Amino acid sequence: MLSRVANLIYWTARYLERAENTVRLIDVNAQLVLDLESHQDFDDPRSWEPLVYVTGEEEKFFEIYEKPVTEEAVVEFLLFDRKNPSSLLSCVASARENARCVRDQISSEMWEVLNTFYLNLKTHNYQTYAKTGSNEYLADLKLRTQQIYAVAESMMPRTESWWFYLLGRYLERADNVSRILDIKYFMILPDRHHVGSALDVIQWGSVLRSCSGFEAFRRTQRGQLKLENVTNYLIRDSEFPRSILAAVTSAENCLAEICKTKSNPIHQSVARELTILREHLASTDVTQVIAQGLHEYLDDIQNRVAIVHRATQEAFINYDPAQATVV
Amino acid sequence: MADFFNNYDLGGFYDEMFSSPGVPRDHYKPLLDRYDAMTGIDEMFSRQKAADDTFINRGVTFTVYSDQAGTEKIFPFDLIPRIIAADEWAQMEKGLTQRMTALDHFLKDIYSDQRIIKEGIIPRELVESCSHFRPELVGVKLPRNRHVHINGTDLIRDADGSYRVLEDNLRTPSGVSYVLENRQIMKRVFPNLLRNYRVRPVSGYTSDLLDLLNWLAPEHVPDPTVVLLTPGVYNSAYYEHAFLARQMGIQIVEGSDLVIEKDKVYMKRTGGLTPVHVIYRRLDDDFLDPKVFRKDSLLGVPGLFEAYRKGNVALTNPIGTGIADDKAVYYYVPQMIKFYLGEEALLPNVETYLTSDETERKFILENLPKLVVKSVNEAGGYGMLIGPHSTKEQIQEFHDKIVANPRNFIAQPTLSFSRCPTICGDEMGGRHIDLRPYVLNGESIKIIPGGLTRVALKKGSLVVNSSQGGGSKDTWVLADNKEIADIREVAEDLSTTVKPEKISV
Repeated sequence: MLSRVANLIYWTARYLERAENTVRLIDVNAQLVLDLESHQDFDDPRSWEPLVYVTGEEEKFFEIYEKPVTEEAVVEFLLFDRKNPSSLLSCVASARENARCVRDQISSEMWEVLNTFYLNLKTHNYQTYAKTGSNEYLADLKLRTQQIYAVAESMMPRTESWWFYLLGRYLERADNVSRILDIKYFMILPDRHHVGSALDVIQWGSVLRSCSGFEAFRRTQRGQLKLENVTNYLIRDSEFPRSILAAVTSAENCLAEICKTKSNPIHQSVARELTILREHLASTDVTQVIAQGLHEYLDDIQNRVAIVHRATQEAFINYDPAQATVV
Repeated sequence: MADFFNNYDLGGFYDEMFSSPGVPRDHYKPLLDRYDAMTGIDEMFSRQKAADDTFINRGVTFTVYSDQAGTEKIFPFDLIPRIIAADEWAQMEKGLTQRMTALDHFLKDIYSDQRIIKEGIIPRELVESCSHFRPELVGVKLPRNRHVHINGTDLIRDADGSYRVLEDNLRTPSGVSYVLENRQIMKRVFPNLLRNYRVRPVSGYTSDLLDLLNWLAPEHVPDPTVVLLTPGVYNSAYYEHAFLARQMGIQIVEGSDLVIEKDKVYMKRTGGLTPVHVIYRRLDDDFLDPKVFRKDSLLGVPGLFEAYRKGNVALTNPIGTGIADDKAVYYYVPQMIKFYLGEEALLPNVETYLTSDETERKFILENLPKLVVKSVNEAGGYGMLIGPHSTKEQIQEFHDKIVANPRNFIAQPTLSFSRCPTICGDEMGGRHIDLRPYVLNGESIKIIPGGLTRVALKKGSLVVNSSQGGGSKDTWVLADNKEIADIREVAEDLSTTVKPEKISV
C-alpha cells in the first residue's frame, strides 16, 4: 500500500486510541477526587492539576488557563479545547481528517460513525459535561469510541491497512496506559503512612477501573489492591488487553503481518525494537522498579514506544527513495 | 399528458421536450405516456427530494470541503431526463470525432512543425501569447503520437435547434462521474421509465478510459501500472477522482506519493518503490513539476517532466493541451478542421468575435450591452460579462479591460440556449441546458453516449456551471429511432414504481 495512506490509517488509530484514553484519564481522576473528598476539598487545586502534567501539555495549559487549576479548566482543556492538540476534540478531529482521506480503505461506515461523533462532539463544552454528570457523560464518550472500533473491526478487510491501523492503536495504548498508571505518582497521597490504607486501596481500584481492568484483576489476581500488584498487572499481565505488555505483544504481531510480504532488512529493525521492548517489559521486576522510581520507569517506557514509532516511520513511511528497493 | 405539464410555458425558446405548447416531440412521447401511466406520479416532487437525499448520503458532492462550514454540497440532480434521438446523436458523434481529430492534429503541429502558423492560418502571436502554450513541449515525442486524449466539449442548441460548440475542455475536464451516478440514481428511482426505452448505457466509459490509459503505456511494458494523480481531498472534484479510480481499480495518488529516480516514476509504498507507467492526472500543467512549471507547487512531482520527455511515463491529458482550450484559439477550430482534414466543420462554433482583431474589437466595444464577453483562459463561468444582464458599470469595466488587454477576451452574441422542463420546487419550469460529451482519443475515438447535461436552475439564467447554481440531468441517447413506436405499447404495464424510501443505499 501507499506509504502516505498507511501513515494516515496508522494515525487515525493513534488519535482514536488517544481520544479514548483521554476520556479514561479524566474518568479515573473524577472518581479519585470523589474518594479524596474526605481528605481534601473538591476544588483543591491538587485534585485536578496532576492531570495536566500526566498529559505532558502543562506548558500549553498554563498559557491558556490561570492558577489555581479548576476542574472546569482541566476538563475544558482535555476534552474540548482545540488549542490543545491532544484534547479529545482535537484527537477526534484529527482522526476524522485522516479518515476522510482514506475513506475507501477504512470503509464508509467507519467514516460515517466517526464523522457523526465529531459533529456531535464539537457542539459540547464543559457545561454539557457538568450537566450530564461526569460519570454518565464520560461513559457515553467511551461507548462512542468503542462503537468506532466495533465498526472498524467488522468492516475493514484484513489487508495491510488493517495491520497498520492496529499497530497505531497498540503503540498508542502502550504509551497511554503508562500515563494512566503514572497518575498515581502525581496524585500526592496525604501522607506516606496512608500507603496500604483504605484510601490507597480505593485509589488503585479507580486506576484499574479507568482501564476497565478492575473485575479482570479481581478474577485473575488473588493479591490485594496495592501498588505492586496493580502496577505489575497493568505493566506485565499477558492476558489483560490493556496491559502495556499485551499491547506491545499485539503490536509485534501486527508488524509480523505487515512484514510477511516484505523483504527489506530495514523492516526487521522495527521488529527488533519491538522485541527489545517486549522482553524488557516481561523481565521487569516491579518491586525493584517501585523502589527505584516508578515514574522514571514509565517515562522510559514512553521513550521506548517513541523509538518504535520512529523506526516504523523510517522503515515504511519516510524512507529515502534513493535507498529503497524497487518491488 | 401528466398534469404537471399543464401549465408548462415554452417561453418562446427552443424546448427539448415540446415542439409547441402541449405537443411533445416524438422521442419524448413514450416518457410522457409513462408519466401518465404511473400511479402516484403526483409523488414526482417528493421523489425529487428522495433523489437529493440519496446524493447527500452517498456523498456525491462537489464543493470544496470546509471544516468551518461543515457542509458538502451536492450538484443538484433533476429527475426529468434529457433525451437525444438516435439520428441526432449520430450526427453529433460525427462532428465530435471530426473535431477531436483536428484538435489532435493541431496540438501535434503546434508542438512540432507549426505548419498552421507558417501557412498563415493562425497568427503566431496568438499561439505564443496563450498562457497554456508550453514551449518546453516543442519537439517532444508523445506516446502513440497522441497529443490529446480526453476532451469535454460543451455543446448548446441555439434558437433553431441546431447544436453548436460553445467551448472545448482539453485539460482536465470534470463531471463524468455525475453522468455515471445520475444514471444509477435514475435506475433506482424510475426503473420503469428506462425499461425498453432503448437508452444507450453509459457505464462503459470507465472501461474505455482504462483501455486508453493502458494503451498509452511505454510499449515494452507488458503489464503497466496506471495511477490517478489528484491534487488531494480538498480539491473540488476529489469525489470524482476517487470515484473514477475505484471504478477502474487503479491507485489514486497525490504528488507526494510519487518520486522520480533516474528519470523513472515510482510510487512510494510501504514495501518499497513500485514503477508507474501511466498517470491519469487531474492536476493542471502548472502544478505538475515544480522544477519546470510553477516553482511553488507542492502538489506536483519534481522531475516528472523529464521522465515524461524521455518517454518513461505517459500523461493523460498530455502537457500543453490547454492551448486548444483558449477561447481565442477556439475561434480557429473550423479553420483547423479545413486545414488538417480538408472538411467543413460538422458541428459549427458559436459565432465569435476576437477582441484582438481591430475591426471586430470596434464592433464589440460598440455592442457590449448585447454581447457575452468571456476571458480566454477562464472556466467555470468566471470572468464573464453577460451584456443584457449587466449594469452600466459592469459594461464599462469590461470595456476598459478589453482596451487594456485585447488578447484576453472574446465576445459572442447572447445566445438563447434550448430549455428543458425541470422540477422547480413544486412546479415544472423551462430551464436552459447545455451538454458536455466526453470524447476519448485512444486507439479509436470513443464517445460516451450523451454526456453531462447541465441545467441552469435559476430562472432565466444561462450559466450552467456547478459553482454558479447549475444542476444536472440524466442524458438519454436512444439506440434506434425506429423502436420508439414499439416502446409506447408497453407503457400500460408500467403502473408500478419504486417507493422513495427504497432508494437508500
